[in-house]
Amino acid sequence: MINTWAICKREFAAYFLTPIGYVVCGIFALIAGLGFRALLLEYARMSQAPTDYGFTTVPDFGEFFLHPYLVFAGMIVVFLSPLITMRLMAEETHRGTAEQLFTLPLRDREIVFGKYLAALAMLAVMMLVVGVHLAIVAYFVDIEPVALVCGLVGVFLMGAAFLSLGFFVSCLTRTQITAATVTFGLIMALFFAGNMAENLPEAQEIAVEGVGPLQPILIGGYRVIRTLLQQLAADAHLEELTLGVVRPQDVVYHVLFAAFFLFLTFRALESRNWRA
Amino acid sequence: MIEVEGLTKHYGAVAAIEDVTFRMAPGEIVGFLGPNGAGKTTTMRILTGFAPATRGRATVAGYEVHARPLEVKRRVGYLPERVPLYEEMTVAAFLRYVAEVKGVGRGIRRAEVARVMARCGVDEMAGRLIRNLSKGYRQRVGLAQALVANPPVLILDEPTVGLDPRQIIEVRKLIKALAPEHTVLLSTHILPEVAMICERVIIIHQGRIAAEHRVDAAGPSLEDLFLRAVSGDAAA
Ligand SMILES: Nc1ncnc2c1ncn2[C@@H]1O[C@H](COP(=O)(O)OP(=O)(O)O)[C@@H](O)[C@H]1O
Ligand SMILES: [Mg+2]
Repeated sequence: MINTWAICKREFAAYFLTPIGYVVCGIFALIAGLGFRALLLEYARMSQAPTDYGFTTVPDFGEFFLHPYLVFAGMIVVFLSPLITMRLMAEETHRGTAEQLFTLPLRDREIVFGKYLAALAMLAVMMLVVGVHLAIVAYFVDIEPVALVCGLVGVFLMGAAFLSLGFFVSCLTRTQITAATVTFGLIMALFFAGNMAENLPEAQEIAVEGVGPLQPILIGGYRVIRTLLQQLAADAHLEELTLGVVRPQDVVYHVLFAAFFLFLTFRALESRNWRA
Repeated sequence: MIEVEGLTKHYGAVAAIEDVTFRMAPGEIVGFLGPNGAGKTTTMRILTGFAPATRGRATVAGYEVHARPLEVKRRVGYLPERVPLYEEMTVAAFLRYVAEVKGVGRGIRRAEVARVMARCGVDEMAGRLIRNLSKGYRQRVGLAQALVANPPVLILDEPTVGLDPRQIIEVRKLIKALAPEHTVLLSTHILPEVAMICERVIIIHQGRIAAEHRVDAAGPSLEDLFLRAVSGDAAA
């Protein structure tokens, strides 16, 4: 516990003793700020002349500002996450400090949780920016604070999930640049999988002829794969959360995602002790 | 204090060390002497629990390394060959981190860090960033890091490599003063270093123990021993 904290402190400090922490937070603040401004102006235009935009009344604030803004913020978090996680293990491997880290009286779980917590702390710093944006709109607009908190937590959960993915990749690579590139590639692949699945036709629409009794099995299998692919898409699970709706499956998705990759991270660290 | 039996490590088809066996009594300073590529670093990495052996047993301070790594790591101070330091930290912050991880209580952490800094002569560098230190000071910070929490066993991999002559003398003096309080295993490929610091020498060549000897003026000279060992006609 004390050791986890010691590792976490050192890791978190390292982000801000080198430029990377400022760069990541700076870029995030800039892009999220621009997006915030653009989406808010867009919403203002829509609500001033709703009929021009095909609405009969003032459009819903949650649906037409909050939701797109939070999804936007979530996307930036996810695409910046490789820059947060790339150094976690790869830097130690590359600099040789791994040799000290692994010969200090530390348990693997203290190393893994300490480093992951530091990455989460970076994410929390980024969430401060989102928090400020939300505080600004909460001041001017009459909106349920719960919806804001929900959205914020949703973005955080999604970020936390992708940080675990990047952490795992960082354990497998020797340099930060490889870690970041591979993580980025995997993130892209995950999003593409989701988009692809959305364009797949419904099971009923695909006509399978001449397979007789196999038909229900094929259709069933197809349905499962289609649903899995859709569920795999991380952005799908951000949608409802950013609308202020907490569905258990969305929370579970992100928590399971993080748990899965943290588990793999453990195994990756453990593998160094396997007798070759 | 250290017992090594039949230790073997293969990297793929390459045998880095083969059937290495030796013992060290508490309070001894032993020189681990061998040409580059002999297997010194490999042996030390196994002893410190950084890498597993392919075969064999290593026991340090009463604990089998592979079975009880944490107990061993609590009792060993290790200076790796490529001194690993977090460049972005100051010397004092780095040593405080090491002290915290080694379980030095919050109340005495500052005093412990001051003690090892004074002992290794880096106290005037306390506030410097490690990235800006000269090679000599980096080596001493590495040594200080190994000494934190006063572990009974010290494993030092080529502690004087890359230092200038004056620094070499200082570091040697420092290491010599560590016994008999500590059990020290230090590796080197420099003959006079062993003669100067160590009580006993273990010569390793091509992954095998080639000779083992007390260092004393009366016996055969180290040069003879070493040359015989590495030329292969001295089965120890
Ligand atoms: N990671 C590794 N992969 C393959 N071979 C290695 C590795 N590490 C060391 N070796 C080989 O093992 C032998 C012993 O190396 P080492 O223990 O570093 O020697 P020393 O420290 O005595 O100079 C050398 O031949 C070296 O090339
Ligand atoms: Mg070596």
